[in-house]
Amino acid sequence: MPWRAIRVSLLIPVLMGSSAPLSAHHSFGAEYDVSKPITLTGVVTKVEWTNPHTHFYLDVADAAGKVTNWKFEGYNLAVLYRIGWKKDTTFKPGDRITVSGWQARDGGAWGHSRQITLPDGKKMFFGPPAGTGDGGAAPAVEVP
Amino acid sequence: MRALVIAAVIAVAASGIVSAQGPGSVPRTAEGKPDLTGVWQGGSTQRGTWEEANRGVGVGGSGVDPSAPTVLSSNDRPEGREAAPYQPWAAKKVVEAYNRRGIDDPTGLCLPAGIPRIVMLGLFPQQFVQTRDQIVMLYEYMNVFRVIPFNAKRPDDIIPSYMGNSVAQWEGDTLVIDVIGFNDKTWLAGTGTFHTDALHITERYTRVDRDQINYEVTIEDPNVLTRPWTLRSTLMLREGTRLQEMVCAENNIDPDRYEKLLNEGVKFTRD
Repeated sequence: MPWRAIRVSLLIPVLMGSSAPLSAHHSFGAEYDVSKPITLTGVVTKVEWTNPHTHFYLDVADAAGKVTNWKFEGYNLAVLYRIGWKKDTTFKPGDRITVSGWQARDGGAWGHSRQITLPDGKKMFFGPPAGTGDGGAAPAVEVP
Repeated sequence: MRALVIAAVIAVAASGIVSAQGPGSVPRTAEGKPDLTGVWQGGSTQRGTWEEANRGVGVGGSGVDPSAPTVLSSNDRPEGREAAPYQPWAAKKVVEAYNRRGIDDPTGLCLPAGIPRIVMLGLFPQQFVQTRDQIVMLYEYMNVFRVIPFNAKRPDDIIPSYMGNSVAQWEGDTLVIDVIGFNDKTWLAGTGTFHTDALHITERYTRVDRDQINYEVTIEDPNVLTRPWTLRSTLMLREGTRLQEMVCAENNIDPDRYEKLLNEGVKFTRD
């Protein structure tokens, strides 16, 4: 098995199954459903490089060829910059990519992005693990 | 005699002096005080550049090394540390806020994270600029700052604020910052950890070697806590990292999303 395949296979359970008590700008659990992991491939139609979160839109075709435009949330600009993303360079409208993440609680075409596979096959994180912003395993206090 | 030498070594170790013998010595000012100037990452114990120290799969990590440790979050008190000693009525309110965290978290509204939450989080760097008369603390998260004079008298007319009114003094090699004058709109350390405007915070920054500041914070608020609450964390030097602009209000669509989901009956509480 090539080294790259080994690395990816190691990463998948960690990144998809994580419920680590980590944090971003807001609660993951309030908006996204950890029981709804999704992996979609499509064409990027728009990227919003904005704070407090970036978003990108992806045209995804189903088996019958019907195209749905999905919206995904990611890290803020500074964090993406520090892990290697470059605006209009790393990915841009027209690129065909695969995204892994979790669907919104309302079940719409909206998701929390975790990992993106770029057109050249390179994989990069675009958003934090599941469970972010949820305060950890328990509230900071125990009610007497 | 040998016992005396051993006792002396133990005494020196206990005083913290030997902790300066880390990978690099503590930089000092012309006045001989530790110089805390630099860019720092909270919630981490890893030495190295930002890239080297954030290779894990946790929040903000590049994922290059799945076994690398994660950093502390802004929503959690440090792992394994003392729980918040809230009065019973206040503890219930903390849990209520926890269950409405998507709505009640001040940072969800792009408001400053407050102290000590903003100091201990790991996702965003903070920069200290120390001069003879003051230390300036700059935080990338929400782009807030503190300008803290040394040995200064407080003004008589403090305006309640998110980051409070700070004054600093040295106790040996430890920088002690006393903070009052808070409003009641931030969380302390952990989801829902509210406080009142009676909040009094004492921070102690001790640069133990070139790469590390030990951070200890004591939180007092007799209106909601039963006793002072002390937390400890570390700040690690991140040479080469530059703070970025973060204009959170630019595109904060999340509060409207929360409200929509709430109206649709989505359960926000932890199952």
